[in-house]
Amino acid sequence: MPRTARRPALVIAGLTITLVAVVMAGVMFGAVPVSLGDIAGAMGRGIAGRGGTGVSDALVLGLRIPRVLLAALVGACLSGAGVLYQALFKNALADPYILGVSSGAGLGAVLALAFGGVGALAAVLVPASAFVGATLTMLLVVAIASRAGRLETLSLLLAGVAVSYTLAALTSFAMVVRRETMARIVFWMMGGLQAATWQYVAVVGVMLVAGLALPLAYSRELDIILLGDERAGQLGVNVKVLERMVLASASLMVAAAVSVAGLIGFVGLMTPHMTRLVLGPRHRLLLPASVIAGAIVMVLADLLARVVLAPIELPVGIVTALAGGPVFVWLLMRDRRRSL
Amino acid sequence: MTRLGEVALEYRDASLGYDRPVVTGASLQVRAGEVAGLIGPNGAGKSTMLRAVTGGARVIAGALEILGRSRSAYDPRSLARVVAALPQNVSATFRFSAREFVEMGRHPHLGRFVDLSSGDAAVVDEAMERTDTARLAGEAVDTLSGGDLQRLTLAQTLAQQPRVLLLDEPTSHLDLNHRLQVLDLVRSLADEGLAVLAVFHDLDMAARYSDTLAVVHDGSLGSCGTPAQVLTGPLLAEVFGVSAVIGTDAVTGSVSVTPVLRRGDMPEPRGVRVHVVGGSGSSARLLRRLVREGYEVTAGALNAGDTDHEVAVALGLRFVPLPPFAPVDLHAEAEAAALAAVADVVVVSSTPFGTANLGNLRAAVRTGGRLILTGSLGPERDFTRGEAAGLWDAAVVAGAVTAASEDDVMHAISEVSER
Repeated sequence: MPRTARRPALVIAGLTITLVAVVMAGVMFGAVPVSLGDIAGAMGRGIAGRGGTGVSDALVLGLRIPRVLLAALVGACLSGAGVLYQALFKNALADPYILGVSSGAGLGAVLALAFGGVGALAAVLVPASAFVGATLTMLLVVAIASRAGRLETLSLLLAGVAVSYTLAALTSFAMVVRRETMARIVFWMMGGLQAATWQYVAVVGVMLVAGLALPLAYSRELDIILLGDERAGQLGVNVKVLERMVLASASLMVAAAVSVAGLIGFVGLMTPHMTRLVLGPRHRLLLPASVIAGAIVMVLADLLARVVLAPIELPVGIVTALAGGPVFVWLLMRDRRRSL
Repeated sequence: MTRLGEVALEYRDASLGYDRPVVTGASLQVRAGEVAGLIGPNGAGKSTMLRAVTGGARVIAGALEILGRSRSAYDPRSLARVVAALPQNVSATFRFSAREFVEMGRHPHLGRFVDLSSGDAAVVDEAMERTDTARLAGEAVDTLSGGDLQRLTLAQTLAQQPRVLLLDEPTSHLDLNHRLQVLDLVRSLADEGLAVLAVFHDLDMAARYSDTLAVVHDGSLGSCGTPAQVLTGPLLAEVFGVSAVIGTDAVTGSVSVTPVLRRGDMPEPRGVRVHVVGGSGSSARLLRRLVREGYEVTAGALNAGDTDHEVAVALGLRFVPLPPFAPVDLHAEAEAAALAAVADVVVVSSTPFGTANLGNLRAAVRTGGRLILTGSLGPERDFTRGEAAGLWDAAVVAGAVTAASEDDVMHAISEVSER
């Protein structure tokens, strides 16, 4: 069937081209506009190793490009994690923010920021601590929400919210105890990409790849698990193993996003859902497409955050929440009819 | 392929359940080429028997073997290559196309990075063809009716190319046409060498499509055997609490079960005894109605093979049984008269009378009073050259009540018995 075989390739190619275009726009626009020529020049000089001389080279290579790439990676991580949670819980309303996983990763990150080291150590310690926080939170929320092995949408969302609040309080507590780090943490928590560096780009990039590798290989199982755990087992899926793999992969991606960009809501919810509406539920296409779409959404959101009130920058989390909140309400109303 | 007659699925003294056993000491063999039916009341553990194979329930003690290997030797993938299950409830809240849905059945046969080959596609095509779902291929599964979805799920299980097929209420969402179609398909799959274990609620369907039946009751696996051996009146009364007429379906030749009375239907006894003279199926409904309204009922002489005879047996009535087509001889007439004599009311149903059963009428009329005659005895009912009509008319003159319909009869009984 050449038509169905060609379509995914076309969709992915189209999304990738869009992403490249959006990334270009992200680098060009901002408080100080930069032309395409400046970007090309700066990149050329950067690759050639002849350190840039002008202010624009420093701006482009040191600030803009890492920032835009980091935005793309964070969006990709959140959206990828969203796809995985939605498949695992068979629920279009599942996303890292709503499930409380982001808060768990946040607490882990804050503990590392407040009590951990600085510099190179922090670059590893913060995401690692965020990963532990995300994983433990997910296990806790599922344990609270499941009754006799069954997970109801409502109890899952309520457990997520309840755990989120508790973790937020613990996070505040950690900040108060370590006042000297408070300003840094508050800024980080609102969801911002100001601190972007190439180091972060590398760490988040590696975590994204690591988090996506297994789920991409298991895309058929992710489809089948939508039929229900018992049915998936009858069709030859090792549900327990798949569950653990998916949760670990998703936690890894959430931890990556949260540890560099703080709490950014709704990207992991809206993007996979919209992508599913357009492309259907098959994960072989849905997962990569959502990941790229998440990157696009995040770069655009960050661009908006920088230019709307320029030269003042909004935390990007505010932009995504403003756009995503109403979408969540719409989904909630619509979900009474159908879930995925 | 498994050879026909080879044991494909075997429970040996198996205790099955979850935290606690639901079914204990179950022993059952299902052979290739055979449809084995599981029957029993709700909650008896029929589904647990199936779920123990697919992994939803545990084998707590004893052995469960699939194709000669212990259940525990299989991982989900290797199990799904030999065992497929059709669940009782199927729901679809996702927008896969019907074809994509069926293709999922190929999963256990596919390597991790391998796509469906043309061979796999052919298996999927055939599965959809045989379940009459090929025309649905492009539809979204969340828009399909329950029946379409059930047949599509069957196609999904066939795509697994299993050697053992487990069916839990395979026809619960199907209309009559598709019910027969699906069960005929299951039958022919079995004839091709599949071993089928199916839970049935409909006993007629169970009898018609199963080679063997096993009864799950009170946490254990009771009688096993052919449908005719298993489906007996005493068993149905014990297991389901239902009195039933067990017959042979005239067309298919399989055992048929007609429930007559539920244990819960038994009312307070009224202390009124009614003797019914019937035959030729003329009193079956009345017998059942009288019992359900609390009368103590006896019947006259009835021939085996007559519906009235079957119903009287199912209801556990006292009556005079006769072999098929045997006449009501003097001996039988005397017995019938004895039953009629101690009754408070005697009812003669709308049965026709000939020389063979005239004794029944004589026995009834002889009792004298408290007699209710149904309809009138014209030439269309009288094949005794007027002898029956003579008895009838004499009874009317002597004060017998005549009633036109069953309702009239019931009314007359309550009036007469209160006199």
